[in-house]
Amino acid sequence: MRTSRRLAVTAAKAGVKARTTARAAAAIAATAVVAVGIAACSGSGGSSAIGSGNGTAATGQKIQGGTVTVAWPDGSAPNLIFPLPPATNTNGYDLNFTQMMWPYLVAEGDGGQSAIDPKESLYSSLAWSNGDQTVTIKLKPWKWSDGVSITSRDFTFVYNLLKANVPNWIGYTQGLFPDDVKSVQTPNSATIVLNLTRSYNPDFYAENVLSQIPLLPQHAWDKTSVTGKVGNDDETTAGAKAVWNFLQKEGGDMSTFTTNPLWKVVDGPFTLASFNSDGNYTYVPNKNFSGTVPAMSKVVNEQFTSDTSELDALRAGSTLTVGQLPQNDVSQIAILKSEGYDVVNQPIPGVAGTLLNFYNAQTGPLVRQLYIRQAMEDVTDRPQIVSKIYDGYADPGNGPVPTTAFSQWSSPLEKSGGPYPYDPAKAVSLLKAHGWKVTPGGTSTCQSPGTGATECGAGITKGEQLSFQLLYSAGTTTNDEMEAAIQSSSEQAGIKLSLKSEPFSTLASTLGQCTASSHPASTCGWQLVDYGYDPYSLYPTGNSIFNTDGVNNLGGYSSPEEDTLINETEYGSSAKTFDQYEDYTAEQLPWLWVPLPSTIQVYKSNLGGFAPLNPFSGGINPEDWYFTK
Amino acid sequence: MTSYLARRAAQAIVVVIGVMIVTFILIHLVPGSAARAALGVHATSTRIAIFNTTYGLDKPVYIQFADYVGQLFRGNFGISYTLQQPVSTLITQRLPGDILLLGVSTVLAVAIAIPLGIYQAVKRNRLSDQLLDGVSFTLYTMPDFFVAFLLIALFAVQLHVFPPEAPQASNLGGMLADPGALVLPIATLTVSNLAGFSRYMRAAAIDVLAEDFLRTARAKGLPERLVLARHVLRNSILPIVTLIGLTFPNIVAGAVIVETVFSYQGMGLLFFQAATSHDYPVLLGTTLIIGAATVVGNLGADVAYGILDPRIRHGNA
Repeated sequence: MRTSRRLAVTAAKAGVKARTTARAAAAIAATAVVAVGIAACSGSGGSSAIGSGNGTAATGQKIQGGTVTVAWPDGSAPNLIFPLPPATNTNGYDLNFTQMMWPYLVAEGDGGQSAIDPKESLYSSLAWSNGDQTVTIKLKPWKWSDGVSITSRDFTFVYNLLKANVPNWIGYTQGLFPDDVKSVQTPNSATIVLNLTRSYNPDFYAENVLSQIPLLPQHAWDKTSVTGKVGNDDETTAGAKAVWNFLQKEGGDMSTFTTNPLWKVVDGPFTLASFNSDGNYTYVPNKNFSGTVPAMSKVVNEQFTSDTSELDALRAGSTLTVGQLPQNDVSQIAILKSEGYDVVNQPIPGVAGTLLNFYNAQTGPLVRQLYIRQAMEDVTDRPQIVSKIYDGYADPGNGPVPTTAFSQWSSPLEKSGGPYPYDPAKAVSLLKAHGWKVTPGGTSTCQSPGTGATECGAGITKGEQLSFQLLYSAGTTTNDEMEAAIQSSSEQAGIKLSLKSEPFSTLASTLGQCTASSHPASTCGWQLVDYGYDPYSLYPTGNSIFNTDGVNNLGGYSSPEEDTLINETEYGSSAKTFDQYEDYTAEQLPWLWVPLPSTIQVYKSNLGGFAPLNPFSGGINPEDWYFTK
Repeated sequence: MTSYLARRAAQAIVVVIGVMIVTFILIHLVPGSAARAALGVHATSTRIAIFNTTYGLDKPVYIQFADYVGQLFRGNFGISYTLQQPVSTLITQRLPGDILLLGVSTVLAVAIAIPLGIYQAVKRNRLSDQLLDGVSFTLYTMPDFFVAFLLIALFAVQLHVFPPEAPQASNLGGMLADPGALVLPIATLTVSNLAGFSRYMRAAAIDVLAEDFLRTARAKGLPERLVLARHVLRNSILPIVTLIGLTFPNIVAGAVIVETVFSYQGMGLLFFQAATSHDYPVLLGTTLIIGAATVVGNLGADVAYGILDPRIRHGNA
């Protein structure tokens, strides 16, 4: 499986998308440190069909109360309770830990839909004006757990803290919130008016920016010391810095997560009842929650050190209510069902691909040629990878937008299989047409160097081989299988791939961003890399990933047309523009598209409200769950 | 004896300091950026700069080392890059559980291996010895994780007798409150250690049984039970003392495979995760503790030698 849990966690470190990824990470099964050991534990499983994201609704009468136990992967232990982690924070799970207590202004994912959830969002209306340069946010008349009303002052508190402390906020993206806010007005306690520095696509701003902003209790947290009084310290830069430092310090003290009075004031559906540093913690419902108070009386979160140990616990019929199943263990489904579990798969909202280093001294000139990228994509048999390696539980990877998780945003081209269906013969003819001597099973070589239409292209020398090293994230069997399949099918066109797997952190430590202006040998020695996937927020824009100056554009892909289209998806408001961006990106191959495996969730069959799964929370929404009898 | 102990203690301190210096140098020779390893592939240059400044990684290596040593003398092992907790806290949290799991399993393995080894030596080459030999060799060749999976498959998945997880409490009291959950991990580690200990014990006991002084003891009318207890046991246990001394650092280092299989957050996993994520402070802290445990284990073995063998105590051997 290619999206290891560790990988997903690390993907969450990317910044703004941390919450999505972190929660999705919980749902991603992988990392078999001792995968071979599974064989020893395997019974006579036998495969069984998995339900779709909608799952099987639990039948029976809804009951109030009960304890639900959720399995979390290794490395998911939270270590910060303050919901605005600093830039040095490396734990994407901190955000999904705090989100249950301090939810975001805009809630991502409505049941199984990739849409805003108005029920769980903190706003009652968003109105755009002034050419989409001003947004007026009306808050719901909700209250904090101590009975104080949630007001626009709580928003300005967050804004002041962030404004004074960026870039030291994990969610900071240069140019976006709070940089893009010209002024904030609060005409009354329930209304916030944001005057922005430019027009935005309202979908993008609500779904990708406001969905990352929690409201925080100014009346309880606006102070600079434990014994200090709550005031309006945030209203000066120095004061906001002092408040920030105080809250970060208090928020990092794990021994006081459940006792510090600061963290007892929440506006989410849950409050923290117990916590231990091993990653096991318990929520209980916030009795004063202004939304629907959860039915569960307790949510126990338990961290497992490996998929194997988690699977063993599920197979042993333990108290686990919700867990995850690695893709290479789908044969265990029958056994899990016999232990009283149901199984459901959930497409992941993200984009997967093999990254190309356009500025590698050796292979950069090769991948700068579109026809070579096309040939490499033509020999990738994505449908077969989906069916044979992922048992059908994966997005085919037809382009930048996953058709399974974002059907409403997928263009007809992507839905029909994308611009490059598997066609090795076409790959061979493309290479031949550009002056290559194609050696199936061997390594093709350039015979006609030059920049003409029938020549290899700029920077490619005579006799140069079509050969690459492909780095990928180690630790999952299905991932190994997929890369081996790509390596094997590439041989049909004489494209030689040397595979090298590394632990994700090792891979990340040497993987630098390479651009036309900066591509040092120390961090730009990589040629091709597949580290997993990049997560999307609700609006699946390619900004930061495929635009020339995108912070997540590691390989240095650059196209003025791509930049224009991406800008239009963010700053314009035409749905047609999105399709144009999507198709252009799919065709231009800034990455080589590969399938993205789904999450497979396991849950007790008497757990209601579990399905349909919210793709943006990895299906972990205990506020909606209940037991049936 | 006192001067001997003092000399050995001084040597131990030098060794620990050497371990610290070598580890620090080796860690910083590993290619790649700690900031990128911790923050992920999409770490922006701004985040990397903040990270490096926060942890002093933007300073020359020799200054980093001086800072580290200075902090160490104040009892500060540093802050984990990935777990964002003081390393001393992490070690304090994880060490007691490992000492429980590995300590109990080592004691059990020794307690079983000693009589087993003597029994096999006495019954040398008979059917019972050969059968036990077969079992020992089988266990000796089985990796920890395989033993663990067999035990889980049988006792947790099939029979539902014991849970497949170690206790999830973060303190000793909580762990002891769930004794059923301790059974499989301790059994795995005991089985893994048992074979080695019993093989050594058998070999040593066979050597001792051939010694002339045993003939003398028997000729003096000493019952066989006492011959074995007073003479064979005491003389053949020396190799086991060495083994226990060498095993001591393992108790502190944890058992990464067993911790992974039984979902237990111990020192082994802490070290493994730190190694794969360039978490220098944790690597340095745990290496230092393991280095100190190695030295203490060997020192303990030397002292035990002195107690068990007067020739060593008096400097005659």
